[in-house]
Amino acid sequence: MARLRVWIAGAVGGCALIALAYLPPRGGAARGPRFATHSPEPTAARRRAQAIADEWRETDASLHLLEDRQHVKRDSSRVGPTIIFRGSAPSPAGVRTVEAVADTMWRGLGLGETKVRAVLVIALEHAPGAIEGPTPDQNRVAFLTPDSTDRTTCIAFLPANNFWTAVLLGHAPRHMEPQWLERWLQSGLGPCAFYAAYGTPGRSVRSWLAARNWDVALYLGTHGIAGERFSSLNLLGDSRYSWYWDGVYSFPPATVACLAGRSDGCRSAVLEGADDDARIAVPEIVRLEQGWWRKQRLLPGERFLADVARDVGRDRFQTFWTSPLPVDTALAAALRQPVGEWTERWERRFIQPIRLGAASPLGATLLALLLATLAVSAVALTASRRQVR
Amino acid sequence: MFRRFWLPLLLGVLASPLRGQDTLVDRLRIRADSLLRTWQQAVTIANLADSLERERATSGRDTIAVGALRIITNPSPLPLRQAAALAWPAIESLYGSAAADLAERPYLIRAADPDSSARRVVLHVGVEVPWDLDLRATTMLLLTTVPVAPPDRPLGEWLTGGLRPAIHPREDRTAVYLELVTAPSQATRGCFLGDIARCIDALGLGDTAHLLERWYPSAAERRAIVSQSFADFFNHGDNVQPFRECVAGRDTSCTALLRSLPPGALPKPLTEAARVSLVRDALRLGGRDAYRRLLRDPETAIGDRLAQAAGVGVDSLVAGWRNAALAARPAPVALPWWAIGVAVGWVTVFAGCGLSSSRWRA
Repeated sequence: MARLRVWIAGAVGGCALIALAYLPPRGGAARGPRFATHSPEPTAARRRAQAIADEWRETDASLHLLEDRQHVKRDSSRVGPTIIFRGSAPSPAGVRTVEAVADTMWRGLGLGETKVRAVLVIALEHAPGAIEGPTPDQNRVAFLTPDSTDRTTCIAFLPANNFWTAVLLGHAPRHMEPQWLERWLQSGLGPCAFYAAYGTPGRSVRSWLAARNWDVALYLGTHGIAGERFSSLNLLGDSRYSWYWDGVYSFPPATVACLAGRSDGCRSAVLEGADDDARIAVPEIVRLEQGWWRKQRLLPGERFLADVARDVGRDRFQTFWTSPLPVDTALAAALRQPVGEWTERWERRFIQPIRLGAASPLGATLLALLLATLAVSAVALTASRRQVR
Repeated sequence: MFRRFWLPLLLGVLASPLRGQDTLVDRLRIRADSLLRTWQQAVTIANLADSLERERATSGRDTIAVGALRIITNPSPLPLRQAAALAWPAIESLYGSAAADLAERPYLIRAADPDSSARRVVLHVGVEVPWDLDLRATTMLLLTTVPVAPPDRPLGEWLTGGLRPAIHPREDRTAVYLELVTAPSQATRGCFLGDIARCIDALGLGDTAHLLERWYPSAAERRAIVSQSFADFFNHGDNVQPFRECVAGRDTSCTALLRSLPPGALPKPLTEAARVSLVRDALRLGGRDAYRRLLRDPETAIGDRLAQAAGVGVDSLVAGWRNAALAARPAPVALPWWAIGVAVGWVTVFAGCGLSSSRWRA
């Protein structure tokens, strides 16, 4: 009986110790932030006005894209994309510089005379109060892909922010490097570069791309797999910090599984939208949201098809691009291996597989093992000394 | 007859997609015009609603006036009047005659019960704070939320933010001193040693060409920036090779990597705190109209604007700023004479305890 009391006392004491360690103290004053201020929210009327302004911006952008397509004229003296400036116009010398850089960039992509011509509409910032109505959208890139009304023109809308507006108007900062403009123009081409390089995609590929807003064909690039200076993966930051993991787990499960090196996840991430028979709108206007990299289904998806094209060669990629077969079949045929396995290897070029699931710290693991060893030893010792009378 | 009938029909069929596009463009144009009209009406209504909200937020409230500060608030134990009396001299000394404009831009503060769980009215105007803030916190609230108009874009970008009165002027200058001493940049070091041209470079006031070479002229500095500040950024894709070469000591790779950075991403050798303290110095030197002169011409270079505001040349301004920063050197830790004895005594006690322990006895 006495030994039982000791055991009970020990158990209660242990519980008390654990409670002491884990339960928060009571009665103390909570230390909140010094300023628990609440910022004002817009009134309902203001929110409505902002919503209408957004709707107008979208309609206005679509209208301008369609009007530009109607009025654009091809400049036969150049090989690169046709450039149209909207808003303030740069000087003739500035225009020639941009066109020369665009031509160089175009040739760098391996493009020359193409069946589908690309038109780059560069919208410069307006001076405040210079236009009537809401401020036009200066943040979202948009593309008008070829359709039945015009099968040979793809228009890319590239808004110039404050920095690029100054550069195009001849006020480039002295520290500007020459290749920055080329990179900026190249990043603005988006799906139009694919249209120019490979023509109009087949129905299944186009439907797949439309279902996922062309997120795997935003950048044709020039330097091959893992060969660009910067990708959306860089925006996740450093895995030592918690926000990296917040960013990782904000992606869909298949995307995260692909980052962890699981080929099933990679396959799902790539083929998402391939089963849907998405209706392709006419006109098809692809708009990239601000922060589109936070909503990708594959990382770094923006360059996925460009890397596929470089890896399999032009002919095989062209076959895939125009194939009437379902996307998974056509892509696997072009890659000559399962989509998931190729993508999993492709992913490795950018990032080492991340570890998923709970990971206990080394100290905690060692402590747990020590406690377990003690417990087992104590039980074994007790059992070995037990005597039946 | 047959041809005459079919040819226009055929042309009409061929042209129908173009007509369809025209129809779509017309439709979009009508929609855009309609949305624009609706938006104009909505903005008028929103302005009215905001005005009513503002009226509602101010009616039946107390107005506290200290200097040109106007604080519209609900009755509460929040020590706003005392805080305003403390904040106003600091605000006026920074903005000078421009501080008089604050009479037209009141603070709207709603003091709320911090312990109440009652549902609060949605706040559309001003800020809401708990009414149990002490005098120091309330003063800081007023100093950090001065309702002054934001600076123009070039000045805002150079400052990387806004300009606020100094809350801890001495500590701010000490922070600048520490930057001058510790920043891994020869420009900053040159500034610390008295080269005013280097100070102007480090503050981003001079020629912005070749900033990399001006700010970080030595190979070791460039390598340090790449390997410490941008290791995760550059250690990807085709940057891996130049990154490794840079870390191994190849300066051309370091330079190429740093040149590829987006505009404005090169770390500044002196941070925003140094720039803000320079502006405060310029405003202090320039007298009551200095702030107005600073904002007068946004197209002018920042260095010239600061010189106009201060009423002295930019070299003199920067030299004065540097001297003030050096004068704010943090005081070295001074040990009293008896502390040495106490330290030696404790060492002796512990050594004695250790040596007299039974384990060390033979």
